[in-house]
Amino acid sequence: MTVDELCRAPIRVQARRLRAGRVSPVELVDAYLARIRANSRLRAFISVDGANAARESRRVAARLARGDRSPLAGVSIAVKDLFATRGLRTTAGSRILRDWVPESDATTVRRLRAAGAVILGKANLHEFAYGVTNSNPWWGVARNPWDPTRIPGGSSGGSAIAVVSGLAAGALGTDTGGSIRIPAALCGCVGLKPTYGAIPLEGVFPLGFSLDHAGPLTRTVDDARLLFEILAGRRLRPAPATAGLTVGVLRGPWLDRVEPGVAERVGAAVDGLQAGGLRVKEVHIAEMDWTPAMQLVTLRAEASAVHARWLRRRPRAYGTDVRLRLQLGMLVSGPEYAAAQRARLKLRAALQQVFTRVDLLALPTTPMVAPPIGLRSIRWSDGSEPVDGALVRLTQPFNLAGLPALSVPCGRSDGLPVGLQLVAPWSEESRLLAVGELVERFRPGEPDYRISR
Amino acid sequence: MAVTQREHLAAAVRAAGLRLRPVEVDALLPAWRRYRDLVEVFLTASRDDPVP
Repeated sequence: MTVDELCRAPIRVQARRLRAGRVSPVELVDAYLARIRANSRLRAFISVDGANAARESRRVAARLARGDRSPLAGVSIAVKDLFATRGLRTTAGSRILRDWVPESDATTVRRLRAAGAVILGKANLHEFAYGVTNSNPWWGVARNPWDPTRIPGGSSGGSAIAVVSGLAAGALGTDTGGSIRIPAALCGCVGLKPTYGAIPLEGVFPLGFSLDHAGPLTRTVDDARLLFEILAGRRLRPAPATAGLTVGVLRGPWLDRVEPGVAERVGAAVDGLQAGGLRVKEVHIAEMDWTPAMQLVTLRAEASAVHARWLRRRPRAYGTDVRLRLQLGMLVSGPEYAAAQRARLKLRAALQQVFTRVDLLALPTTPMVAPPIGLRSIRWSDGSEPVDGALVRLTQPFNLAGLPALSVPCGRSDGLPVGLQLVAPWSEESRLLAVGELVERFRPGEPDYRISR
Repeated sequence: MAVTQREHLAAAVRAAGLRLRPVEVDALLPAWRRYRDLVEVFLTASRDDPVP
């Protein structure tokens, strides 16, 4: 395997070769930096820390030579530019923070470094993570590696591009309404939003405090497990046997609008689970119908609370779409916020009830494949829907509920990746990942990851 | 005299401490209307439901 091929290999493979001395971290980091330069048109990164990454790779090389067995020794990671990085500019994708250089790392970044990871740079995102197109007015419009005229999804779009295009071994993202799972689905990699609070958010610029989650984007489910354990600072329970588990396939009006090609790929993946020994049952949760309103009210109020001071003093320092969302958030009333939180309790109770009958849920991650850059609304047979709303429609319920959810590639429609979303009960990441691996194992006809150059 | 939706929005914007030009209030109006429509239906549907 050449170093360039190794750049696209799973983290486990890279880490094994690095520990065995079959490749040096210096070589690998150099190769990644060259690949990032060659793929700059995708706008995956806001800042690349080449000099520091090279210096760090030399330090790790010396440690490996002394027998260091750290799990990520010499593994190159991209970090969404929402996580504070000591000595490295952290913009949150904004103009407002364009010169902010934190004095300390976010807890998650500190844990990655302690495990031996080399931080390559800061991945592009939707401004302040408040949007899902990743068309960033200040740092460039991020582009989907499968078709650069289409969005990669967001807000962790740069992280997904980096993983799928072989510009980093894995990446760190955040998810407030789907911001890890959506770009993972639209670009074709694995994205894990863990249970609320499982991975610390200290040092991460907030969007909506009760909805924010941090998590990994990777090429394989096994890599997601590896990064989750490092980021959460704890080992997962051993993977359970998947045969005999019951998968609830969600149905309801909120799932009626799904592209036929996406529904077909997701259906095939569920058939595969059934063939793999799982039982399948249809599930309807009436409370899901209200999740767009719950999410809109909750997120608008919480995001505006973070930005109120800047919004009043320098509104024109925001991009148009984010400014509009934040200004509208300033108009959310107390009774509206209280009603949304009450409805969330009902949603959580309904999901808890469903998980007495099924072991996990399955549904598409997004109702459509990556839309063209600039498309504002998507046309369905019964009307149209704003692209932003459509992209988060199937992911946001699980931010509201705080449940662990995983997006796994399950084939392509019109040549573009489709994601299957799996959802497990609170703190059941181990079960989620075990079933995700099953999907990965029999993914029909899915070739290698997207290679840009 | 009936208050128009735009006047209602302009008053809410002022009360929130946002200093917007008339053209900026106009820009907010369509999204604010959609928000109001969605939330009114949601509030009506969820009224008087017991907390689980």
